[in-house]
Amino acid sequence: MENNDQLNWFFEQMKIKDETLSIPPVRSQKPKKINPWIPIGIAASLTLICIAVWFEKPIPDPPAEVIVITLKQGKNHRQEITIEEKTHLETWESSTSSLLTEY
Amino acid sequence: MNRTQLDHLLKIHHRDAYLWARQCCSFNDDLAKDVLQQVYLKILEGKATLNDEEKAKTWIFSIIRYTAIDHLRKTGKFISIEDAEEIADIEEEVDLTDYKAIINLLPRMQQEVILMVFYHQMTIEQSAEVLEISLGTARTHYDRGKKNLKKLILIAQTKAENGK
Repeated sequence: MENNDQLNWFFEQMKIKDETLSIPPVRSQKPKKINPWIPIGIAASLTLICIAVWFEKPIPDPPAEVIVITLKQGKNHRQEITIEEKTHLETWESSTSSLLTEY
Repeated sequence: MNRTQLDHLLKIHHRDAYLWARQCCSFNDDLAKDVLQQVYLKILEGKATLNDEEKAKTWIFSIIRYTAIDHLRKTGKFISIEDAEEIADIEEEVDLTDYKAIINLLPRMQQEVILMVFYHQMTIEQSAEVLEISLGTARTHYDRGKKNLKKLILIAQTKAENGK
């Protein structure tokens, strides 16, 4: 027969001391559950974005706003007129600028 | 086992579970509360399942122990002295009424087996299940734990008598 009196006494004293411990209440636990609407919503949004990108119409070129008429000197000193439609002017020369230099 | 049954089971074992969690966390109350919270979440989320209702206490104790070890490892407070057989040298005064200090002087596995058997009135077989070790190994820890604890109590008693 084992003589555990000493140990039994020790643990009895320990239990008496533990009686004074305040045991925390069992907190009601709610398992974390993902709302099923969240992934459905994300999937639907992504699908809509993909559809929108897929069927996006190409942006048409803006209408020409400037007509550029250029007078150039061609072969045999013939003058040639070229007409271009552009959205903007790259260079501009006054039609009367020649009066300032060629007089 | 449904949610209501699990809630009921946890309520029945709550006091023992808290005391065991505290013992697994070196008697730190705050750590024990955190560990127990994690254990209840694991159980209610179905991460740990009980197969045999008769082994509910063993099952809860096992989850508490592993959760406490994980928690202590993460916080860097876990010191494994599982392989140690003998108690560390006692340099400080050992107070016989300070049971926490006396138990903490025992190697971890010995502490656990002795607490389960003497404090929680479990069998050595049940403690072997909690620790997931063989019955023979549990018996060895039990015998060594008893021997070491008796030695510690004797030292504390002698010191207390000499101090009078």
